[in-house]
Amino acid sequence: MADGVEQSTAEARPSRGAVLGEAFRRFMLRPESTALAAVVILFIIFTALSPQLFPTKLTYISIMAVAAELGILSIGVTLLMIGGHFDLSVGAVLGLTSYVAVVLMRDFGLSPVVATPAAIAAGALLGMINGLIVVRFRIHSFVVTLGTMLIWRGVVIALTGGFPMTVDIPPLFKSLMAGPLIGGFRMSMVWFLVLGLAGTILLTRTKFGNWIQACGQNPQAARNLGVPVDRVTVILFMIASAGAAMSGIIQVARFASVDALRGEQMELQAVAVTVIGGTLLSGGYGSVVGTVLGAITFGMIQVGLVLAGAPGHFFRTLTGLIVVLAVILNTDVARRLARSRPLAGFRRSSAAADAAIAGAADETDPDRDDTPTRDGVARLGEPKQ
Amino acid sequence: MTDKPMDPQAAPRSLPVGSRSDDLELAQRVIQPIPPDSVPVMEAVNISKGFGATTALVDVSLKAYQGRILALLGDNGAGKSTLIKILSGVFPPDQGELRFQGEPVRFANPGEARQRGVATVFQDLAVCELLSVTRNIVLGREPQKGVGPFKFLDLKRADTMARSALHKLGVRWERGLDERGINISGGERQSLAIARAMFFGSALLILDEPTSALAVRQAGRVLEHIAKARDDGQAVILITHNFRHALSVADDLTVLAQGRVAGHFRRDEIELDDLTDLVARVA
Repeated sequence: MADGVEQSTAEARPSRGAVLGEAFRRFMLRPESTALAAVVILFIIFTALSPQLFPTKLTYISIMAVAAELGILSIGVTLLMIGGHFDLSVGAVLGLTSYVAVVLMRDFGLSPVVATPAAIAAGALLGMINGLIVVRFRIHSFVVTLGTMLIWRGVVIALTGGFPMTVDIPPLFKSLMAGPLIGGFRMSMVWFLVLGLAGTILLTRTKFGNWIQACGQNPQAARNLGVPVDRVTVILFMIASAGAAMSGIIQVARFASVDALRGEQMELQAVAVTVIGGTLLSGGYGSVVGTVLGAITFGMIQVGLVLAGAPGHFFRTLTGLIVVLAVILNTDVARRLARSRPLAGFRRSSAAADAAIAGAADETDPDRDDTPTRDGVARLGEPKQ
Repeated sequence: MTDKPMDPQAAPRSLPVGSRSDDLELAQRVIQPIPPDSVPVMEAVNISKGFGATTALVDVSLKAYQGRILALLGDNGAGKSTLIKILSGVFPPDQGELRFQGEPVRFANPGEARQRGVATVFQDLAVCELLSVTRNIVLGREPQKGVGPFKFLDLKRADTMARSALHKLGVRWERGLDERGINISGGERQSLAIARAMFFGSALLILDEPTSALAVRQAGRVLEHIAKARDDGQAVILITHNFRHALSVADDLTVLAQGRVAGHFRRDEIELDDLTDLVARVA
């Protein structure tokens, strides 16, 4: 690699094929690559299965409606998973906060302008409870949120008595949350994309995002460096539950009702979406853009199978297959990152600048230590190259 | 790498680097005596600590001065790690006192110790594997731009900070700063952690077995970086059970055995054989 640095200025421009090859290699190292591949491949398959029905605007609208409601909830779950935790309670939180919103509007006659923030705040509060239990008692979040999932679901069933509750939704509120836009797509898609963008910026372009990733990878190191790991954890749980509440409100606006099983199973669908999107189950690494694509994958499967006339159970089977495939591809990501070397003629982006500053460009480096660390050996199974 | 040229400005605190620690020569170096009126950056006074029925430390004292490396030596179970955990605020001592820059202190947690200027590089806990080199270096001290709630990472400045941190330590970093933690070797991890601690201006750098997992050449490089941190004016406490490593860079040595101080020495007062004898005799 040292001679690469040395010769870089004199090097001829790499061929077009090499440029494309390197671009492809870099893309494949990104967490979103699996989800994007899934979207493209499923699109081709479903178009082939139902060429008249699938590639139409109406289909895209349905796909995005499904993707938006699940996706908004999944964005928070993704951030939380990158931070190293699970939240199985988001589905129940969605149900309970939807109930809160409906009751505030119907029984207390509050305007949705008040009821919506109140429901989201209630969601954040429920998330805070999860977070504080995890942080305070050092119990795995999987168990804590399994418990709160059952508790909140029980509360919703008790409060609704198991019956659906309807509510009159002001038309303006309905169109703002889930109504059709000019062009036919639903407003929920806009919320989905805006929140997806916000989540991406938060994760990749802020201090807090750096902390999220550090907490998921090496919480002890992060703590030693002054990152308030516990605070980050609690905030992540609050974001996840607030996102669930937002999804719930969109559904309330769309259906003008809430029922006892609202949001059930969405916690697992969110994990599936997140995993398809390239986020590691073990935490520390992932992408909100991947989750957005994962949610679209989910929507495509759901809508595409109906259009193809497949029996209902196909949905679960196919989703399951894709999740397993995605996990196989994605858990390999650390290994890929470690092994992958730039194609000939390319340098890692900032190598030249560093080398120049460090004064290394004037000598070849016979003693660059390439020995993998003990960790590296343990994790990768074998030395690279 | 040649020895650092003497900088007249830094002369009072700059001590001779000594031999190239690269090859771990144990040549006698000129060790300056500690100036009589200087206050230790960190002083432990008669520290005792027990865990339940076991006594980890009894009446342990040590002093770490600015611009000097104190090697803390001892066999496994001698109490080294308990002592540094006390020094870095992981837990308090049962008895005794810590004095930081002359004043008694009680650190509530490692974060507080860090705020006061005690940077500890714990063994194996230095790096987040899937973050870039830059993001690892600025972790916890991220530069930001923007106003109010719209504050974003200043990635350019973060890169500059990372580059100058490595440069300040004299690390030759041939690869990109976007390299992920998983791709860098054990020696590079230690160097990165030292660079980080130094760059963010600690007064005391505590290193827990920084060379134990490393190949000879990597270890030499890390020791060089530790010497550089010392020349930069840091007080350094180097915990190791490798006497050769300790002798090659240390100015002062404190030997622990079975939770007690077996001796304090200046580097030029003791030889490798004496150290071996000392530890063997106590054990």
